[in-house]
Amino acid sequence: MDGHAPAIEVAGLCKTYGALQAVDNVSFQVRHAEIYALLGPNGAGKTTIVEILEGHRSRTSGLVRVLGFDPATGGRRFRERIGIVLQSGGIDAELTVREVVGLYASFYARPRSAATAIEQVGLTSKRRARVRTLSGGQLRRLDLALALVGNPDLLFLDEPTTGFDPNARRDAWQMIAGLRSSGTAILLTSHYLDEVQYLADRIGVISHGHLIEEATPEGLGGRDTGGAVITFRLPAPLSGADLPTGPWDEPEHHDGEIIMRTELPTRALLELTRWAVGLGVELDGLSVVRPSLEDAYLQITAEAAAGDGDGR
Amino acid sequence: MADDTRRPRPSLLLSARQVRYQLVLLARSPFGLFLTLVVPLLLLVSLNLITPSNAAIVWGGHHYAQFLTPAISAFCLLNACYVTTITTIVLARENGILKRLRGTPLPAWTYLAGRSGAAVLTAVASALIIIGTGVVFFHVTIIWGALGYFAGAAGLGIVCFFLLGVAVTTVVPNTDTALPVAFGTMLPLAFISDVFFSAIHSPLWLHDLASAFPIAPVARAMEAAFNPATRSWPMPVSGLVAVLGWSIAAAVVIALAFRWEPGPVQRRSG
Repeated sequence: MDGHAPAIEVAGLCKTYGALQAVDNVSFQVRHAEIYALLGPNGAGKTTIVEILEGHRSRTSGLVRVLGFDPATGGRRFRERIGIVLQSGGIDAELTVREVVGLYASFYARPRSAATAIEQVGLTSKRRARVRTLSGGQLRRLDLALALVGNPDLLFLDEPTTGFDPNARRDAWQMIAGLRSSGTAILLTSHYLDEVQYLADRIGVISHGHLIEEATPEGLGGRDTGGAVITFRLPAPLSGADLPTGPWDEPEHHDGEIIMRTELPTRALLELTRWAVGLGVELDGLSVVRPSLEDAYLQITAEAAAGDGDGR
Repeated sequence: MADDTRRPRPSLLLSARQVRYQLVLLARSPFGLFLTLVVPLLLLVSLNLITPSNAAIVWGGHHYAQFLTPAISAFCLLNACYVTTITTIVLARENGILKRLRGTPLPAWTYLAGRSGAAVLTAVASALIIIGTGVVFFHVTIIWGALGYFAGAAGLGIVCFFLLGVAVTTVVPNTDTALPVAFGTMLPLAFISDVFFSAIHSPLWLHDLASAFPIAPVARAMEAAFNPATRSWPMPVSGLVAVLGWSIAAAVVIALAFRWEPGPVQRRSG
């Protein structure tokens, strides 16, 4: 394996279905030992991109290299090195967990043992159970085991923890993070932004077939350097009218809570607390919050949708 | 650079595991077992019992079972290789099993070879049960000198019916329509192709029509192999051409249109 080449390299990728431009000039890279999350609203083009990378779908134009292969022609040697977690189904209901994982292990040249893969996803106690008897969360874990059993260098994870209970999600996240630590590259698609926040090293946001932003989870939409929201309550008899002027927008009042938006949260907090200390009052419920990943993502995609709307 | 250090598993081994896997699935499917093993047996017994004794004489004095046993054996091949292939492949496709397999190193032909191996074993087991039942309970005589003809005709039928079954899956849109399509295409042809009763009194045009499809040549050859008067390969050249022609046509359809993904036929743009 050439450690210098990215695990995934996409340049100028386009895909059309008749008159529909499903993917338009998308370029990004995923490094080895990196988790890259592809986000976007339903119908944005994520699935098309992922299926092109998996070799399930052909592209109209552009460069795609996955582990050094063109997935459209990589064939068996390419598929030896990838693992895929599909969104749903695809497992014979009448086989047992051990049978189906053992069967899939037999397809690969250097598999994990079936027992190891089953243990990694926490299904050891269910290894003799028929697939049809598993709960939704257990089925997703079996999905994960089937993707892992080939010992892949690259994992495609499509909504990997849908249906998991909170404990199982945390376990799955730690397992996925562990795979990254051992060098596996992971392309993640998920609607759970807490999952993306926890796992992803970088995020690409797809909207209407375009890659509209690429950043770390902390930096998406400039949320690490952009504005913050300061909230607090004023003790009686003080009111919003008593507040000094400072580096913040006009304060908003909501159920007795004062909400200030500022581009300079450090200075704003200093001036606000200096004013309160000078008066000898306590600001109850004082908090400074940056926009969440979800806030940033929703804003980016809303702006993209509005931009597309204006352009029409 | 692509990593070439992983040597793929031998394809024959992968095919053998697919055979085992398909047989395990069949063994755990009450419907599949009933269809492939019980239905032919019911037909053999019931057709023997309900046929009037004065009409139950064939080939110059032999009992009807001498004809019916190889005929129902041909039906076993149709059931195991055509009907079961259509229903199980469509089910696997629509449940996403084929798509999942397509993302693994398992070669497509290995998967189909495994399925065909399972179909062969099921067909042979089913036919052996029928022949055993015919011999034990209906005094059927095996014509040992013609057994090779029987095996040859059955082999041609197995290959042709399996390929046709796989080819038909390309036009079956969902699991609900798989069984109606399978039986809807097979049963009418089976009725005019001497599978359930000898059609020696049927109009010539119907006989010729049946001969243009692969069931009649296979069924008639298998039946002829149980006729004590048979002394040579019982399938006419025209029948062989029909069986091979349908097999080749089915193989072409499979190569061009076999679908691994669930849902309606995808547009193949780009």
